[in-house]
Amino acid sequence: MNPAASAPVKIDVRGLTKRFGDLLVLDNISFQVARGEFLAIVGPTGCGKTTFLNCLSKLIPTSEGDIFIDGRVADPRVHNISFVFQEPTCLPWRTVRENVAYGMELKRFPAEKIRERVDTMLGLVGLSETQHLYPNQVSASMVQRITVARAFAVDPDLLLMDEPYGQLDVKLRYYLEDELVKLWQTLKATVIFVTHNIEEAVYVAERILVLSNKPTRIKAEVKVDLPRPRNLIDPAFVAIRKEVTELIRWW
Amino acid sequence: MVEMEEGIQRLGRQDRSIANEVQKSVRERRPLTLRRVITNEYFLHVVSSAAFLYLWHEVAASGVFKGGLCTPWEVVVRFRGLLTDTLAGLTLWGHIGASAQRIAIGFVLASVVAIPLGLFMALNPYVNAVVKPVFDIFKPMPPIAWVSIAILWFGVGEESKIFIIIIGTFVPCLLNAYNGIRLIEPELYDVIKVLGGKRWNEILQVSFPASFPAIFAGLQISLSLAWTCVLAAELVASRSGLGFIIVQGMKFTDAALVIGGMVMIALVAWVSSLLIAGLEKLLCPWRRDIRDL
Repeated sequence: MNPAASAPVKIDVRGLTKRFGDLLVLDNISFQVARGEFLAIVGPTGCGKTTFLNCLSKLIPTSEGDIFIDGRVADPRVHNISFVFQEPTCLPWRTVRENVAYGMELKRFPAEKIRERVDTMLGLVGLSETQHLYPNQVSASMVQRITVARAFAVDPDLLLMDEPYGQLDVKLRYYLEDELVKLWQTLKATVIFVTHNIEEAVYVAERILVLSNKPTRIKAEVKVDLPRPRNLIDPAFVAIRKEVTELIRWW
Repeated sequence: MVEMEEGIQRLGRQDRSIANEVQKSVRERRPLTLRRVITNEYFLHVVSSAAFLYLWHEVAASGVFKGGLCTPWEVVVRFRGLLTDTLAGLTLWGHIGASAQRIAIGFVLASVVAIPLGLFMALNPYVNAVVKPVFDIFKPMPPIAWVSIAILWFGVGEESKIFIIIIGTFVPCLLNAYNGIRLIEPELYDVIKVLGGKRWNEILQVSFPASFPAIFAGLQISLSLAWTCVLAAELVASRSGLGFIIVQGMKFTDAALVIGGMVMIALVAWVSSLLIAGLEKLLCPWRRDIRDL
């Protein structure tokens, strides 16, 4: 389960286990993510995906094992961990601009730095013109762009994404996946992207981890070594998609 | 951090955006036509109000209710007189002032205690566990039920009226502040937790602003209840206030005085609710709708 040999290990998950009483949900999961790598995680419905992410982000404690960032136990107070949730999590009482700045404010970035970085991020995701509107005044895709911009803006050690585009229609999803890849290529973040959309995973990721049914383990690892921008109907793309689909099917 | 800056540099000045679409604000302009005037919201408001006044006038003039109903104009004349003449030593302004003062004192006292208490109950399970059982006993009691006991305790002066208003406005203030916090999406807190924020950040950045709209909804309900309460108290025992005007009209079979009193209460209550709505707009700018961009 080692990432590309060239880049140093950024995220090291060792023996991650989570039990709720007698129920074993996550069973001794170990993997590593290289610095600047884009890792996708796919699994069948109900495979403990949310629990997995909540452990990785330290929202809930693990039963055994832990997650290490740069060799230190992950701690939201020390490390920059960003989380893009499935539901839009903009704060309705902050303008688009203030929402993007919000993560940096919590991380106590200097004011000048925040101003600069927000300008850059707003420009990158195309929100400059709407920066003084409130989230309820922009479209659903804009709202998800706000949270993605906020997540990238803190220059995260680890960026976790939980099916951020699951609730959008196909066209917007393609748009935003494409933007996400460009953002990642531009800003060089280390990303763990969880989805149950296999095509999405193959489109965005450099490597895919396939999870098993509960109790969840890592069932397989698939490298996606395709040039970008990726073509959804390229035979090599389709072959990888089929391979992952075969791995994931439980019927 | 350095890599991120370099990445942005690489994008270059020409192509600073990776976005596939950009949203720009738009404003619609349409020509003024007869159809637009007729279907205009405000035009229709005027039409329905005028129709109502006309109907009222015709019914009063027909004499169906004998002395029990007067025309709208008679009400206006009666109350124009009250602006200068006195009733029980006070002009109309004096009576409005008397009622409004009771409302203001009771309303402020109740909300200053009830809102923080509601917030505390929602944020802290121990405060909730202590306060809730007592609160639940008083919650279903109609405030009017307190009128008699209030007079027994405080007499027929100002205190008993203010007391009833406090009782009436306390419950919706507290309940709305409480629910405003309970109904917040938990993900909004998770964002702060993942970013390493403290509990204090959660309360200040999420709980308080999220509860504002609910608190203001509670204040609006409280305010209309406050007018009900003050009226009930003034009808029972009072020497001033809009409720007193109505009672006087009833005693002397002066329909203009009764109806005028009712209209004045509606007017003053409406103005006071506008004040609350204005305050909400000021404190919750994100609640503006897209039409007023």
